[in-house]
Amino acid sequence: MAKSADVILKVDRVSKRFGETWALRDVSLDVYRGELLVLLGPSGSGKSTLLRIIAGLETATSGRLYMEGVDITDLPPYKRDTSMVFQHLALFPHMTVYENVAYGLKIRGVPKEEIDRRVDEVLSLVRIRELRDRKVTKLSGGQQQRVAIARSLILRPKILLLDEPLGALDLKLRKELHIELKRLHEEVGNTWIFVTHDQEEALTLADRIGVMNEGRLIQVGEKWDVYDYPKTRFVAEFIGETNMFTVSIDDVSGGVATGSWKGFRVSFKDGGFRPGETIYLSVRPENLHISKEPPAGEEYNVFHGVVDVEVFRGSYVIYHIRLDNGEIIRVTVLSKDAEFDPGDRVYVYWRFDKGVPLRE
Amino acid sequence: MRSPTGESLQRLRIFLSNLPASAYIFIMFYVSIGILIAISFTVPRKYVVEWSFTLENYVRIFTDPRFLSPILNTFLIVTVATILLIIVGFPIAYYLARVNPNLGIKLIFFLIIPVEVNYLIRVYAWRNILGENGFLNSLLLSLGIIDKPLSFLFYSWFAVVIVLIHEWLPYVVIPFYVNLVGIPRQLYEAAMDLGANRWQIFTSITLPLVKPAVLTVLFIVFIPSLGEFAIPSLVGGESGIMLGVLIDRYLSDFRLAFGAALSFILLLVTMGLSILMIKIFGYEALYQR
Repeated sequence: MAKSADVILKVDRVSKRFGETWALRDVSLDVYRGELLVLLGPSGSGKSTLLRIIAGLETATSGRLYMEGVDITDLPPYKRDTSMVFQHLALFPHMTVYENVAYGLKIRGVPKEEIDRRVDEVLSLVRIRELRDRKVTKLSGGQQQRVAIARSLILRPKILLLDEPLGALDLKLRKELHIELKRLHEEVGNTWIFVTHDQEEALTLADRIGVMNEGRLIQVGEKWDVYDYPKTRFVAEFIGETNMFTVSIDDVSGGVATGSWKGFRVSFKDGGFRPGETIYLSVRPENLHISKEPPAGEEYNVFHGVVDVEVFRGSYVIYHIRLDNGEIIRVTVLSKDAEFDPGDRVYVYWRFDKGVPLRE
Repeated sequence: MRSPTGESLQRLRIFLSNLPASAYIFIMFYVSIGILIAISFTVPRKYVVEWSFTLENYVRIFTDPRFLSPILNTFLIVTVATILLIIVGFPIAYYLARVNPNLGIKLIFFLIIPVEVNYLIRVYAWRNILGENGFLNSLLLSLGIIDKPLSFLFYSWFAVVIVLIHEWLPYVVIPFYVNLVGIPRQLYEAAMDLGANRWQIFTSITLPLVKPAVLTVLFIVFIPSLGEFAIPSLVGGESGIMLGVLIDRYLSDFRLAFGAALSFILLLVTMGLSILMIKIFGYEALYQR
């Protein structure tokens, strides 16, 4: 997995308008060679449109696309070195697995022996070689998934585009395929752009994540960074769980900003704030701690409240704590440390630097 | 003794509620066809049916060229008409499936209106166009392209094919339209993405996937047309004669045994063809892609 700054695809200020609505607004993005980039966003965020523009199935209203430095904006899909795995797979129902996978090579007039060899090769890669002569309509969802990927991979595209390809599958199968896809990506070694609305899928698969909303690419970066340092409230709330506090700042000194949230004092790292400003503070449930005694030390924000609800999730427990100001916040605790019951009076606290202040 | 269970009661209820319709179909259809078949094996006599078994009718039909040629003619006319119908109807359906859905539905409405016009009126309209003194001949004469009226236009093989096409066109367009609309757009996009050009997409994706429409057309156009008698008797003349016309002639001449034999042959042929088509295309083609 190459993580160099070797840019294979450059999306330069691309916008797309459908009638009166803007599906994409001024999106710029560098895709690195060999990476698995996940575009994550709710439905209607423009992520699929962006993917289709990269594939050449839609044309951008404005902006350019460069592949390895060459302008490909006006090239038709079949002249681009990309291949798409569609949302509903779009397998050809009247063909067998072999015929589906061989389609792209046959269209290009590749000799039969080479087609046979490459079909066998790619079917082994996705581990469905024994299904070669079956009708695709007779396969299970997971098997069809593999056929769809094989059909694209056989063309050895520089960039593989995947448009919510697991959308129709049940959760257990999806989780299995996530691991499978990771393995496949490592093995093939080309660049993948994967679109999904499922944040868990994004975190599992991605090297980098690009978060989209309302046609804009809001943040793109290594998945840890996007998770730990979201740039906006939207990103913080869309990826993972979080507690969001609206804080009015009244003091900034020594790299620490302090303000109040509904009667509680809160401190966090200064991000160039001024007193009087209102910001949003995002704190992940797993960064919060609970105890019956107040914590020792100055580096904590401390709230006080009562355990309201306990949600058991197997390996961990989510406590809903009703604070003294009436608000509910969520705290995640590993099950082995979950020693609280509804009704217990507890302290909830976190280190100053674990809160992420956001301006928008 | 066991009391009737809910299930058997249910079955009885279904049986009773279906009885009137089943009885109707049985008496009006199967019994009458049974009588027809029986008559076809009786001695050919005018006005009366003489109940004694013979194969004489069939032997004559299969040995006398006067009968064989209308039978072949029937197949030729209907085959040509069906092929032309698909050639004409498919592009229309293809266009309708591609324009925006609102317009498509409206255009189909306009396609159906002529079918609602009375059969005879339509046939007479064709007489005015194709007849000896009809529009087409007058036009060609006045333009000096021909110096005497073309006779093959009407009371001919040609006229039967033309009127059959007019008659059945909506029944060809609609199945193809429904079929084409049902093909997900993503299939075309996938093919394009995999490198196919328009023509390759058409031949490798579109054509194989309209098999159900072809089968539907064979069933609702080709097979019923084999029994067509009104069109050939009104516009066909001698060169456009079909089996249906022949049957009508014998029956209205009260040569019942002979007419019955011809009818039974037609029935066997259409049944045979139906079975053959299902064997070739597969049963699923009728209801799934």
